[in-house]
Amino acid sequence: MILVGLLMTLLGFVLALLSLGMTSSVGGRMVMVLAGIALSLIGILGVMNRAYLKNAIWRK
Amino acid sequence: MKRYLALLILTLFAASLGMAQAPAAAPVAAPPGPAAITDADLKNVDVPKMELRVKGDPDGSLTGNASDIVVADSKKGLAISDVLNQVGQNRVAINFTWTLIAGFLVMFMQAGFAIVETGLCRAKNANHTMMMNFMVYGVGLFAYYLIGFTIQMGGVGAVANLGGTAPLNAEYTISLFGKTVGLFGQHGGFLMQGGTYDVGVMVMFLFQMVFMDTTTTIVTGSAAERWKFAAFIVSTFLLGAFIYPLFGNWAWGGGWLATLGANFGLGHGYVDFAGSGVVHSVGGITALAVSMIIGPRLGKFTRDGKPNAIVGHDIVLVLTGCFILAFGWFGFNPGSTLGSSGPGNLRFATVAVNTMLAGMAGGFGAMFYMWIRYGKPDASMSGNGFLAGLVAITAPCAFVNPVSACIIGLIAGILVCLSVEFVDKILKVDDPVGAISVHGTNGLFGVIAVGLFSDGTYGGGWGGVSGNVRGLFYGDASQLVAQLMGVATLLGFVFTLSFVFNWLVDVVIGQRVGAKAEVEGLDLPEMGALGYPEFELKARA
Repeated sequence: MILVGLLMTLLGFVLALLSLGMTSSVGGRMVMVLAGIALSLIGILGVMNRAYLKNAIWRK
Repeated sequence: MKRYLALLILTLFAASLGMAQAPAAAPVAAPPGPAAITDADLKNVDVPKMELRVKGDPDGSLTGNASDIVVADSKKGLAISDVLNQVGQNRVAINFTWTLIAGFLVMFMQAGFAIVETGLCRAKNANHTMMMNFMVYGVGLFAYYLIGFTIQMGGVGAVANLGGTAPLNAEYTISLFGKTVGLFGQHGGFLMQGGTYDVGVMVMFLFQMVFMDTTTTIVTGSAAERWKFAAFIVSTFLLGAFIYPLFGNWAWGGGWLATLGANFGLGHGYVDFAGSGVVHSVGGITALAVSMIIGPRLGKFTRDGKPNAIVGHDIVLVLTGCFILAFGWFGFNPGSTLGSSGPGNLRFATVAVNTMLAGMAGGFGAMFYMWIRYGKPDASMSGNGFLAGLVAITAPCAFVNPVSACIIGLIAGILVCLSVEFVDKILKVDDPVGAISVHGTNGLFGVIAVGLFSDGTYGGGWGGVSGNVRGLFYGDASQLVAQLMGVATLLGFVFTLSFVFNWLVDVVIGQRVGAKAEVEGLDLPEMGALGYPEFELKARA
């Protein structure tokens, strides 16, 4: 799951980057960049961190 | 009657035509302009006679005059070219002096970080925490000298304030959606390669290096009290050599983020005046990656995941360190003008005041939040709020007015409290000093604040785009998109790179000390000596 989260995080960046080529409207780019940020945050906080917490030292 | 009326209209029409066609009044003779100064005039300039000078100059009225201008040809005497060359060199000298002094102030921030972090840790780890903060300076400097500076600034081009840093002219570029964009610099290795043995490059190196070192020292706080010293050295080297310089190039070195405005019409491109994103977010995000990999300290969470407060051992150190950091911040932000002489450089006065105000508002925000929520004005959180305000104003400090600086600081002070609670209680990531919240969260907020609060009074031509920098509240939504692109890069790319590098360090060296050493305190197992040898310390998990 850590790898999945890492890929999601990177994909968020790629999505934001793609906004530069896919649309020239400010609104369209903003939506895509915000979606990219959300995807990266989910990848870091929702997936990767959760995977680490499953084996956290305080659970042992 | 009609005839009189027609005559009147005709008269008015003729009069109006006459007025329109009336010859312009003879121009008033312009006052004669100043006569051109010639070399001959310079011979007649009065300078204090030597007889007066040898008597001393207690009030300074005789010192510094035309006789101090260096003459190129002593036979010819003082010439216009000598005066003009002196003026040009004085401008660059003023800018060198200001930038170097600002760099020295930023360097002193290392002392502030060292005692803030050590004060927030337990006494049994004092030597280890101080040693990390001490050696982070040398390790970071070494990495940046070897590799990092070239990647970050090797293609920045000529910086006019520093007399031109022309040798830094080799940016590796690629084509992105039909536009040529920079990825990393290629000149500057060992401050020799590519003609970079140059005084302007030296000023640039010193100033950029101390910024990079600020980033590396952020991570030592979040991983404190459990980080293996050898792993810390390798991790810091990778941050100083690759991670920080790469994002630094994209934002400050002529890379693709800086040119989002010129290439893709997004405001003035990604704008980050002194580094809320480049310095603080990169540090805070790397701190998050390391903290996740390394795991929490023993005893930080109960078996059901509830956080325990592990209090630091010296609040005096913490708040003194905050003051040192605030002092150093006057180099960090106003120094980022890279000069005080030249067009737009006097803005550094506004930058300094904005910095001061935001720090104050951040301290207030955190203090009142904690007072209202927990009944006491928590000292360490007030300190963190103070720093959060400074972090958040770092990117927008040159582009916003003082009222906005107060608002940004106040939000940052409250935001850092909320973020610390979120990291502690929801994420269950152990961050002994609150580095992720102070630098990561508020660094990102500072980046966004540029896109919201920039008031259009400064930044003409920034990023190769004409006009001043304006945020959403002043009519330019595209600037906000450019800033959000920076946030997406920090979260999506910088975090990924930091995580992969530190995961490799974990696999090869191991990031975390053993449980026995952690319980005992890292001073003896890792450093071989206690921080406070005359005190009897009780090990507490």
